[in-house]
Amino acid sequence: MKKKMVSLMMVAAMALSLTACGSTSSSDADSSSEAAESTDEADADAEPAESTGVSITILNSKTEIQTQFEEMAEAYTASTGVEVEVYNADTDTTVASQVATRYASNDPYTITMVDAKDIYSLADDYAYDLSSEEWAANTDLSITVNDKLAGFPFCVEARGVIYNADAIEAITGETFDPSSVATLDDFQALLDTLVAGGMEQPVGILSEYWSLGAHYFSEVYEQQADPDAFVNGLLAGTEDLEGNEKFNELMDTFDTLIAYNYAKGSASNADREETSMKLAQGDIAFMFGGNWDWSVINQYDYTENMGIMPVPENTSDDTNTKLVGGGSKYMFVDSSDNTTDEERQAALDFLNWLVFDEAGNSFLTVDCALVPAFSNIDASALDPLSASVKSYADAGALIANYNYLPDDHMTVVGQEIMQKYLDEAMTRSELATAVTEYFKTATPIEH
Amino acid sequence: MKTNTMGYKVRQYLLFAGVTTAVFLMVVIVPFIYGLYLTMTSWDGVSMNKPFVGLANYVSALADTGYWVSLGRTFIYSAIAVILVNAVAFILAYLVTSGIKGQNFFRAGFFIPNLIGGIVLGYVWKFVFNKALVSLGEAITQGNVKSLLATETGAIIALIIVSVWQYAGYMMLIYVAGFMSVPDEVIEAAKIDGCTGTQSIIHISIPLMTSSFVQCIFLSITRCFMVYDVNLSLTNGDPYGSSALAAMHVYNEAFINKDYGTGQAEALILFIICAVIGGIQVYVGKKGEVQA
Repeated sequence: MKKKMVSLMMVAAMALSLTACGSTSSSDADSSSEAAESTDEADADAEPAESTGVSITILNSKTEIQTQFEEMAEAYTASTGVEVEVYNADTDTTVASQVATRYASNDPYTITMVDAKDIYSLADDYAYDLSSEEWAANTDLSITVNDKLAGFPFCVEARGVIYNADAIEAITGETFDPSSVATLDDFQALLDTLVAGGMEQPVGILSEYWSLGAHYFSEVYEQQADPDAFVNGLLAGTEDLEGNEKFNELMDTFDTLIAYNYAKGSASNADREETSMKLAQGDIAFMFGGNWDWSVINQYDYTENMGIMPVPENTSDDTNTKLVGGGSKYMFVDSSDNTTDEERQAALDFLNWLVFDEAGNSFLTVDCALVPAFSNIDASALDPLSASVKSYADAGALIANYNYLPDDHMTVVGQEIMQKYLDEAMTRSELATAVTEYFKTATPIEH
Repeated sequence: MKTNTMGYKVRQYLLFAGVTTAVFLMVVIVPFIYGLYLTMTSWDGVSMNKPFVGLANYVSALADTGYWVSLGRTFIYSAIAVILVNAVAFILAYLVTSGIKGQNFFRAGFFIPNLIGGIVLGYVWKFVFNKALVSLGEAITQGNVKSLLATETGAIIALIIVSVWQYAGYMMLIYVAGFMSVPDEVIEAAKIDGCTGTQSIIHISIPLMTSSFVQCIFLSITRCFMVYDVNLSLTNGDPYGSSALAAMHVYNEAFINKDYGTGQAEALILFIICAVIGGIQVYVGKKGEVQA
């Protein structure tokens, strides 16, 4: 009998340790916003509001602003009484799979931040119609799916060629005007001047497949007069990519970038951090990228004298005067029964606060340094790259993102094809054939 | 109290193993069956409806050349890695049981790589391959040296090197236990009969350690076939997707290309292949075991 008691106790101890492990890890995951509970100077003088007992959860998939988000959540709670819990999206899995997990366990976020593409797949099932909101009139970047305004544009992002004007001016001795290198010929002439002036390799190209596939090569579609018709033509196998004007213009420019790439030889292995560092310090003068790259560049010894310019092209249309971009990161409000009406109202109030409240505005533009998608928000405090984007956006010089590329476009065209081309292991016509072949078997996105 | 009735046995079982059985059912068996069901839907991973498509996913998995290429790559990678891991582990185990000075320190040292998580380890080695070795190579040759990770075969070789470095220490521990379990008197008897050191390893120690080999080879085969973390952080499929192993292809298919059903079907095929190979290996290995 004694033996039995001992073994029973051991079983109990094991079971206890199992449950103990389980509970600590789950409470760890929940405490992301509590971590930010250290008192902030800003809200020390704010009048603490009565707690309303309502709490909302937000999934933040822009992981680089998680700290700002948590601080904002605390200040927001202090001023409105609404509890805000901010979850940071895991970087080692996709946001879509994380959202799916929460929906599968009937515990969705009140507000979920996802990419534009995800809005289209999630809106029908899960998004609340926001079309009657006041802010809807202040932006033309929101996403409407099947007559339902589903996506709240969190910020504007655009891509082009980032330049370090200090590095260029140090060699040329003149003030750098990005519009003077809109054509490839002028751009090439400037590169040659830089090389002659001692900067042996003035260009950096990120080798990550998302940069090559979803950012650079996708401009081939986006710069077409009718991107949708062009992509559908490729899917149907009727479009001649190799003979396409925009394809060749952009690839001519890409060839030039490759020729002056500092990582030439092991280009497909270039390190994003290193490339950004070289640009920040002026070891190289140009890098293809977008305003999000500022968060990497500002980790190094950077200059404020930077900006983004359109990809130079020898072209007859005006695409070389425009950046490519638009709304990036969209928020949707959960429409399922798992969210109560009070919670939903609190979520709507929060979105309004972002757009119309001074504190909300400064959270977006000052704390997070994002380009706001709303015309009423003042954005004078932005970093140089975002300021560039804002000026192009205000001038209407943005070519819209194309959001309906097949899902595996990024991995197949970006990694398997463009990386090879970047490494000069593939010719232009092989590239065109490979992309054409890919589209023949690709699954189109319904829209 | 009667101890041979069915009810008593069931109660005893539930009392001692009930909790673990329940946990096992919940986290292994139920997800596995649910996963089987998902292979027969064309779910995209997020949507609410999971349209039933029968065996269509298996057909598209069979037609997915990228998958079979990555599977072939996994076979080559696993074959080389398994042999090297076990060879290195065995030699290390022999050295740290041969009574050299500070052998406990060496045992701990060789085991430590196994304690570093695969993701961290991948980033550390990425730095070694891309920066340290390249700088070293450039200093020696005075020319431009390409990183091992920038070439197609190089990336696989790098993966193998890192896997061997990571797993050899762990397998070493099992071989150490194997060496210790060989009775001293048998070795002594062999010595008296005129066995040299090498002969006693080949003819005495190794046959008596068969169970260690069976275990180590099984563990290394299954780990190599399923490897994902090192693959992700070290190469992420670069260059040109040429170093994406089967597990990474499955993940990309399911979550990046949002074709959950096909990805799940491919995962199941990978599981079956791995289980069959592991099973055969254990069966054959067990037959070869001898008693002292």
